[in-house]
Amino acid sequence: MVQSDLDRQIEQLRRCEIITENEVKDLCNKAREIFIEESNVQRVDAPVTICGDIHGQFYDLQELFTVGGECPDTNYLFMGDFVDRGFYSVETFLLLLALKVRYPDRISLLRGNHESRQITQVYGFYDECMRKYGSANVWRNCCEVFDYMSLVAIIDDRIICVHGGLSPVINTVDQIRTIDRKQEVPHEGAMCDLLWSDPEDIAGWGLSPRGAGYLFGGDVVRAFLHANRLDLIARAHQLVMEGYKHMFDKTCVTVWSAPNYCYRCGNVAAILEFDENLASSFKIFEAAPQEARGTPAKKPAPDYFL
Amino acid sequence: MSIDSAPPAAPGPSPGPHYDFQDAQSGDLGALAAIADAMKSDNLTDRLESLKRLGILALAMGEERTRDELIPFLDESIDDEDELLLALAELLGDFVQYVGGPKYAYVLLRPLENLAAAEETVVREKATESINKLVEVMDQLHVEEYLIPCIARLSSGEWFTSRSSAAGLYASAYGKVTDAIQSKLRAGYEALCKDDMPMIRRAAASNLESLVKKIEKDHVISFAIPNFRLLADDDQDSVRLLTVEPLVAITKRLTTDECKQYLGESVQKLCVDKSWRVRYMVADHFIAIATNIKDQELQEELLSVAISLMHDSEAEVRGAICTQLDGLADLATPEAIVARLQAPLQELVDDPSQHVRATLAKHIGSLCSVFGKEGTLEHLLPLLLRLLKDSFPDVRLNIISKLDVVDSVVGIDSLSQSLLPAIVELAEDKQWRVRLAIIEYVPLIASQLGVQFFDEQLSNLCMSWLGDPVYSIREAATANLKKLTEVFGVDWARATIIPKILAMATHPNYLYRMTTIFAITTIAPSVTPDIVRDLILPSLEGLVNDQIPNIRFNVAKSLEPLTAVLRKSPETTSLESSIIRPTLARLEEDPDPDVRYFAHRSLMAIDSPAA
Repeated sequence: MVQSDLDRQIEQLRRCEIITENEVKDLCNKAREIFIEESNVQRVDAPVTICGDIHGQFYDLQELFTVGGECPDTNYLFMGDFVDRGFYSVETFLLLLALKVRYPDRISLLRGNHESRQITQVYGFYDECMRKYGSANVWRNCCEVFDYMSLVAIIDDRIICVHGGLSPVINTVDQIRTIDRKQEVPHEGAMCDLLWSDPEDIAGWGLSPRGAGYLFGGDVVRAFLHANRLDLIARAHQLVMEGYKHMFDKTCVTVWSAPNYCYRCGNVAAILEFDENLASSFKIFEAAPQEARGTPAKKPAPDYFL
Repeated sequence: MSIDSAPPAAPGPSPGPHYDFQDAQSGDLGALAAIADAMKSDNLTDRLESLKRLGILALAMGEERTRDELIPFLDESIDDEDELLLALAELLGDFVQYVGGPKYAYVLLRPLENLAAAEETVVREKATESINKLVEVMDQLHVEEYLIPCIARLSSGEWFTSRSSAAGLYASAYGKVTDAIQSKLRAGYEALCKDDMPMIRRAAASNLESLVKKIEKDHVISFAIPNFRLLADDDQDSVRLLTVEPLVAITKRLTTDECKQYLGESVQKLCVDKSWRVRYMVADHFIAIATNIKDQELQEELLSVAISLMHDSEAEVRGAICTQLDGLADLATPEAIVARLQAPLQELVDDPSQHVRATLAKHIGSLCSVFGKEGTLEHLLPLLLRLLKDSFPDVRLNIISKLDVVDSVVGIDSLSQSLLPAIVELAEDKQWRVRLAIIEYVPLIASQLGVQFFDEQLSNLCMSWLGDPVYSIREAATANLKKLTEVFGVDWARATIIPKILAMATHPNYLYRMTTIFAITTIAPSVTPDIVRDLILPSLEGLVNDQIPNIRFNVAKSLEPLTAVLRKSPETTSLESSIIRPTLARLEEDPDPDVRYFAHRSLMAIDSPAA
């Protein structure tokens, strides 16, 4: 793929226009080559801006870049859940993927629990690919990329970033490094927990109402941070109305980047900026106003393909 | 129904359709088989694609076979997918060239007639639009022979869909037929206006405007006005509200006396209609209605109506009449306007709906010229000042956006004392879009207030935007500085803003250091080469060695526009080889790939002959 081709694709995707099926295939191959080189625990240098769930809300992602700065000028770390639920999962994921391929050192993408074959067939990404491309090829290509994405990132050896949270079978970061991540998200085990767990005001571990992953308490977080000489867990995965939420004496923070989630929750979104000295600040933003969005699809998703 | 309802027209000179495009692909036209196959595909996307290539198929088949085979085929094998029908309806309107030009345009009427009876509204509308397109190129004979019967069939269709489409065809047919047929068309249209179904009456009302433009003056009075009145008295408000636009069209055709004689009563009734949607339409078209009614007595009444609409119980109506404020001046003498508008304006300033206040704020400025300098100072200024203190940011913004109008009448000094707090408050609004909006007005404000006021009161504000937490505000702030440089000149920029920009180059956060570079790059085209040499290049020195790669590659990017400025003067061109190129060469060896890329790109750009 020639650089200028890629730049053109990025321009196109920034306008929320899809690229061709062949271009997607190329892009996914390139992305896989990059992800395959990355460890389960991706090392990221500050300064970086970290972001939570996007869920196919393309115009709100544009809003995110308007507030936080464009890639590559601003460095970004996205903590998964790019697809499903919103109207533009295809454009959202492909734009982020194209930016990753174009500027691999400026943007990092972690896997979320929605980056999975099973979940995307239920929550919209599969249907959207079928509707926009008329075949499942694009979905299949994207799912292969999902399998190669990193699970965890650590910023300057101080802040660990993960989509869901901790796992009872993981005590050290090195144990995460030993996971064979190149597979569909399993129903249980360390990899599943990292993508599914939630923090909760309990002591120790609890059963998760989600049916996958666990609930973990402040003592678990403190023990994990202490054992691994870390300061903070940054994670996404849960809607928070104010965009972000500190827990356990600011040792754990949830960042949520999908404003007005599902176009009806009425929440604001946040991103978390760390400068080069790890000084942090939250940037809050709201859903893109109607005039900043393209015309909505005239008809709801047709069901004749299913 | 008084038009002759002929049986369906024969499909052109064809002996009878037989669809074998297969031999169309004999020879070297293999691609056509694919198109023809795809048209029968089960997959909607394939059929849609093949439809787009129908022109190619038609070209290959030739005009005669297109008429005799392809068009009847399209007509008979009509699809049931709305998306496809819509595409077909659009396509047929542009198909004249493939069937043998205007003299054969009529063969396209038949499939379009069927589409005009489709269930889905957008398909019908597109089909009507396409038929009207065909009528433009058809001659009188064909219009009378093919279109008129087509209109007749649609108008007498049993299902409402075809009758509603029919209403959209009368106007274009009308100008192309003889007097005798015109009278039949009028009778046919009248029947639609009296149809039992409100959908049809709505279609008749919304198409009456274009028909009014086509008919002779006598018939405006004898035909259009009675039907307008009928529709304006309809018991459905959705029909009545559609009569406002035909009303405007009718007033344009009448003399003042005639307006008074025929329309006065209907206008008054519409103005006080019990449905707010109708009153909204009246308010929204108020000036258009009033313009052509020159009768003093009627105008007097209209002004009263406008004032009562300002007091309307619905916010939408009050907002709509606010958009018409500037036109009200023509309805009475300036003195009368000043006297009568004062009270309602006072109330609108305190309107409970922020939307109404915002609309008022946007349009109240236009009254300044009517009120004149003294009137504005005495009556409008207090209102403007109150709006500037409104709790809703859009209201304040709208006043500020129209400052130049106010300025031209009374001078901006009268406002400046209140302006400043309003600007400062907007500049600190927690919604970044509000901050963005006020930034965009700063160059306008600056040019009105002058450099001294600006330096004293606004300069710091403009610089503080460079440190805004939101990226797009920082970006807008840099663009703002460029415009200010254009307003106040380069010397001013050198003395006031450039030192402040460069001071940010040492900010501990990389995003704010980056703003320095963006600001430099943005204002570069507006400054002189010696400023680049004396001020900008030295401070970039430090940023070239910044520890954050994002800063280094943005320096690399900025060197390209800076070089363009240096080349403008013989004294500074040498810096290109002594500073710019060595710096870029060094950045080309940077450990970070993005820095190397952007350094390389800038070098290439400098080297390219266009640079």
